[in-house]
Amino acid sequence: MTAALLALADSRLPAGGHTHSGGVEQAIAAGVVSDPRSLETFLRRRLTTSGSTAAGLAAAACRTAGGPRTGAAPAPAGDRVAALRALDREAEARTPSPALRAASRQQGRGLVRVGRRAWPDPVWDDLPAHPHHPLALGVAAAVAGLAPGDAAAAAAYLSITGPATAAQRLLAMDPITVAVVTARLGDAVDEVSAAAVPDADGWLPAGTDPLLDLLAEVHADRTDRFFAS
Amino acid sequence: MRTLVEVVARAGPGGRTVLPVVRASGQLAVRRTGPTTVHLVATAFGPLGGDDAVVRLVVEAGARLAVRTVAAAVVLPARGESPPSVQRVHAEVAGVLDLQPEPTVVTAGAHHRAVLHAELDEDAELTAAELVQLGRTGEEPGRWTGTTRVTRAGVPVLHTTVALGPGAAAWLPPVAPRAWASTVHLGRAAARVTGEDAVRLPLDRGWVASAWGDRLAGTRAGLALLEGVPPVEEVLS
Amino acid sequence: MPPDHVLDDYVDPYDDPAARGHRHGPLRVGLGGPVGSGKTALAAALCRTLGQEYDLAVVTNDIYTTEDADFLRRNAVLPDDRIEAVQTGCCPHTAIRDDITANLDAVELLEGRHPGLELVLVESGGDNLTASFSYGLVDVQIFVVDVAGGDKVPRKGGPGVTASDLLVVNKTDLAPLVGADLDVMRRDSAAVRAGKPTFLISLREDPAATEVADWVRAQVRARVAAHA
Repeated sequence: MTAALLALADSRLPAGGHTHSGGVEQAIAAGVVSDPRSLETFLRRRLTTSGSTAAGLAAAACRTAGGPRTGAAPAPAGDRVAALRALDREAEARTPSPALRAASRQQGRGLVRVGRRAWPDPVWDDLPAHPHHPLALGVAAAVAGLAPGDAAAAAAYLSITGPATAAQRLLAMDPITVAVVTARLGDAVDEVSAAAVPDADGWLPAGTDPLLDLLAEVHADRTDRFFAS
Repeated sequence: MRTLVEVVARAGPGGRTVLPVVRASGQLAVRRTGPTTVHLVATAFGPLGGDDAVVRLVVEAGARLAVRTVAAAVVLPARGESPPSVQRVHAEVAGVLDLQPEPTVVTAGAHHRAVLHAELDEDAELTAAELVQLGRTGEEPGRWTGTTRVTRAGVPVLHTTVALGPGAAAWLPPVAPRAWASTVHLGRAAARVTGEDAVRLPLDRGWVASAWGDRLAGTRAGLALLEGVPPVEEVLS
Repeated sequence: MPPDHVLDDYVDPYDDPAARGHRHGPLRVGLGGPVGSGKTALAAALCRTLGQEYDLAVVTNDIYTTEDADFLRRNAVLPDDRIEAVQTGCCPHTAIRDDITANLDAVELLEGRHPGLELVLVESGGDNLTASFSYGLVDVQIFVVDVAGGDKVPRKGGPGVTASDLLVVNKTDLAPLVGADLDVMRRDSAAVRAGKPTFLISLREDPAATEVADWVRAQVRARVAAHA
């Protein structure tokens, strides 16, 4: 099963992630990220806010999609469609920035494109047309035979690796330094994915960083950018 | 200590709003201060770490309710290892609810959790403001965690948790603001606006605006600019 | 439904669009080549020459700005809704070869907007001699080099020069000025391209890009015949 998780979290998976900087391009423009230390701070912010939210949604989508290791009885297809649509609305409510909504749906669509051929399964058809990325990730995990915790781990991990690579390219940073930065965040990634469960109110994580919202909106207005988000 | 406030607003004769339920126990009292306005009055210092307040608001179809407070709430830590103080506002709105309390000041060592859960009918209107200052002048900042969940006709429109203060996720230098101002509005749509340390994001028939900075005065001014109204005078001096 | 839900690709996971040509939609032609060789000028020329014959659209992969897309709007007489620019995340070759998601999105967006589309030109961001398109993205590809880059370019080879379906050597009018020997370029190209065509052209002397346009017409005809 581990191999499927590695494949999902692999930056080589052609799902369009490389054209998104996770806010780091604008963070660099705004002077918030300029060196390894400030990059680590930025990645930690992102991991514990939008990364944690994505992890919760991915785990929930995995559980909803069902599958051998999700611990869920197979739901009737109609119920699954409704449940995934409801989760997509939860993702929308947790992503008030129009630019980040577009970026998430764009990456969700890209992952569906590759995922439905890599792990063929009728459950792909139960997703909305352009699902938020964590939903696509959760479904991919389920049909690849993974558990909700794996989906959360992939979401948490991807929330830092995309922006880390973008920062490395934009600042011409030492790739080994960037690898060190992401490796040092390993425990934090594990903590975030372990906490990707509903709270006492039954609510999934909704961590938000208003700074990321602002950066995303300013970035979307630029015409001189390398990255889609 | 446990505090419970309940207010029900109902459409009365002649289009007026009546308040058939106005009650409070614990650290808050409720005073009706206008035809559609109530003020919450603190009857003790605090909240203190470990305090738990629940405010239940029901605004029925055709009714209006404005909720205010008379003074800033100053959150203090309990002695020793202080647990968070919690304030949960649960609103069921079919009419119009306007919730604009005075600022919450979270002193050093305190952690305040604020939850707003608003369930709106299809045509309900909501304006809910939040003003936060971490630490009094010259004091270390406390911690504040605010969760807002708004649904309309059962569909989530906004669900966010913002955590500020030492140890909080999105509170790391160089962006670690001590002041936070945010307003969510459901009813009329508004376009996206970006400002300096301030952003207004469109929601389905609504918007959410946030601003942050070192001092609440400037932060409120930044928010007011986004909201398209002139800056208001600072109440904390 | 969006195109990615219409395609029944998951029925056979090993069904490779790159191996059989895209079943649906327009012919997709990749335009690649080094910076400054004239990709955008060639795209504009093809739009002007073929725009009246075919229902066509263009995807640009600008490296940094929307400059190429803006150039096309001005010079290709192509309406805005037929040009899509994608961001390539600092990696123009990744966007056309290793992870083609953003480009597929753009092509599908154009296909959805113009259901009768017959021809899509995908212009890569300026890169180097090793950059080439994945056949998961395009059906055929044209690699554009120029005389000013030196007459050694065809001999140096690289995937673009050797494997592209059409090699275009542009700016032949500059040959005397830069001391480039066109016969050498023609001979070296033939030697490394295993019979695939090479055109030596000058867009300055022939702004209609007549020869290249004819080649594209033949590709469209071949595709229509193959899918008939």
